[in-house]
Amino acid sequence: MIEAETLSKRYGPRLAVDRLSFRVRPGRVTGFLGPNGAGKSTTIRMILGLDAPSGGKVTVNSVPYARLRAPLREVGSLLDARAVHGGRAAHAHLLFLAQSNGLPRSRVDEVLEMVGLTSVAGRRAKGFSLGMAQRLGIASALIGDPGILLLDEPVNGLDTEGIRWIRGLLKRLAGEGRTVFVSSHLMSEMELTADHLIVIGRGRLIADTAMRDFIERNSQRVTLVRSPRPDQLATVLRGAGGLVQPEQAGGLRVSGPDAATIGELAARHGIPLHELAPRYSSLEEVYSRMTQSSVDYRPGAPAASKEVAA
Amino acid sequence: MTTVDSAVRPVGTTRAGFWQAVAAEWTKLRTLRSTVWTLVLAVLVVPAFAVFVGITRSLQPDDTILGGSLTGAMFAQIAAAIVGVLVMAGEYAGGTIRATLAASPRRHTVLAAKAVVTSAVTFVVGLASCVLAAVIGALILSGKGYASGEPMPALPGVALSIAAVGVLGLAAGVVMRSSAGAITAVIGILLVPPLLGPLFQDWQRWVVGASPTSVLQKLSQSSDAAPEVAGSIGAWPSLWLVCGYAAVALAAGAWMLRVRDA
Repeated sequence: MIEAETLSKRYGPRLAVDRLSFRVRPGRVTGFLGPNGAGKSTTIRMILGLDAPSGGKVTVNSVPYARLRAPLREVGSLLDARAVHGGRAAHAHLLFLAQSNGLPRSRVDEVLEMVGLTSVAGRRAKGFSLGMAQRLGIASALIGDPGILLLDEPVNGLDTEGIRWIRGLLKRLAGEGRTVFVSSHLMSEMELTADHLIVIGRGRLIADTAMRDFIERNSQRVTLVRSPRPDQLATVLRGAGGLVQPEQAGGLRVSGPDAATIGELAARHGIPLHELAPRYSSLEEVYSRMTQSSVDYRPGAPAASKEVAA
Repeated sequence: MTTVDSAVRPVGTTRAGFWQAVAAEWTKLRTLRSTVWTLVLAVLVVPAFAVFVGITRSLQPDDTILGGSLTGAMFAQIAAAIVGVLVMAGEYAGGTIRATLAASPRRHTVLAAKAVVTSAVTFVVGLASCVLAAVIGALILSGKGYASGEPMPALPGVALSIAAVGVLGLAAGVVMRSSAGAITAVIGILLVPPLLGPLFQDWQRWVVGASPTSVLQKLSQSSDAAPEVAGSIGAWPSLWLVCGYAAVALAAGAWMLRVRDA
């Protein structure tokens, strides 16, 4: 469990993190979502005790990170896959991490095996592809078999195979009862992995909610209907107060009456239906609408950047 | 393709304490080519100078064989300084420092471990290098009319000065967080006093005499250690002075490491 209480970080006049309070619970993937520059990485660095908060506090398993006896046994983190010294072999990097927390040496080979890097264990990290570097970063995070995982933008720059691997891994780790906290600036990524969402913009909390609730509360319901008599159907639906827009592929996009109502209206008027499908507007749309006001530097919107959070 | 189910079965204690940090720092030091090669260079440089001085007989008549053999010891100090810088600043270059501090969040423990490993390794390397050089010098030059000089306890003293400069490099690395900057600074401290000493005129013997490099000349009983050049502070007090610089610089580094964000 990670608990932040009115956590703040000030850089000069700018508040990068502004009185952020949240809890990250075990057994699920919690997505930490926000546009670039929203304060995600700063928050994660404060959780790890790398940056000192300007105000408030954050604890890991009820104590500040610096007081953990063997931090790697409790928290595994991935900040930047390229943070491994390029001149050092993968095995050596993991070995010093294991030694620093008194973990058995055998653990190094175990995590190398888990992430599929055994065959390149002796190679220097400089020659690693981004995907391999990311796997090494994940291996570092897993070396102490921690109950909490903190990953900052783990899928950035990965190819499809790498992304799929990380997604599967995160879900499996949460399924084992671990606390998984993963940041991203992409809603589409979170939609596929996260069970719970913490959304921030300009360092402030925008939402802290279950993914399902987030979708239901924030998306507009629309229904796609296909019929051989679209004009007649459109007239009927408009008569019932629906907003009807023709779709490119010949169907109708209806908002207002739900799918059941549309089906019943069509039956009453004897209009055959070939398709009746409820849709949600994409989360990407919802997310960008939510965070728009809190994006620091938006192209073509100078007014937003002048407003300094205080 | 992957399974994440093998839990850690700890052997002994799992904690991020001082000795764990020392083990980790030793691993870091020996698994980088840059530090390993700098140390190899440190071992070779003093004997190489001993061979050169021996063959060319480029000693003053009042020099000791020991002094001549250790002509290159300053370069061993420079190599030690570079190792010290790399141990710390090298971590900032790539961002390894964040992995290090996330694994060992008690920062003073990390710095102390780095200081212990750096000083121990540079002491051993410096001692090996200087002993080898002294033996080579004695083999080539004894019986050629030079005083032999007193190798004990001068050799461990020289090695200690090399280790102190290694720690000075480490401290510069913490403070400056950049390899290039810290190496420049430490090499400046080592080279500027002997090079520019004469410019200081009456102050020369104080400026030169208090510099880390003059300890070498004093300990190795070189003719360059004459009081009018290197001041009247004795060899051993000079050595303690240099150890003092390293300790003060390290304390400053410890404070900065604690208050700054990683």
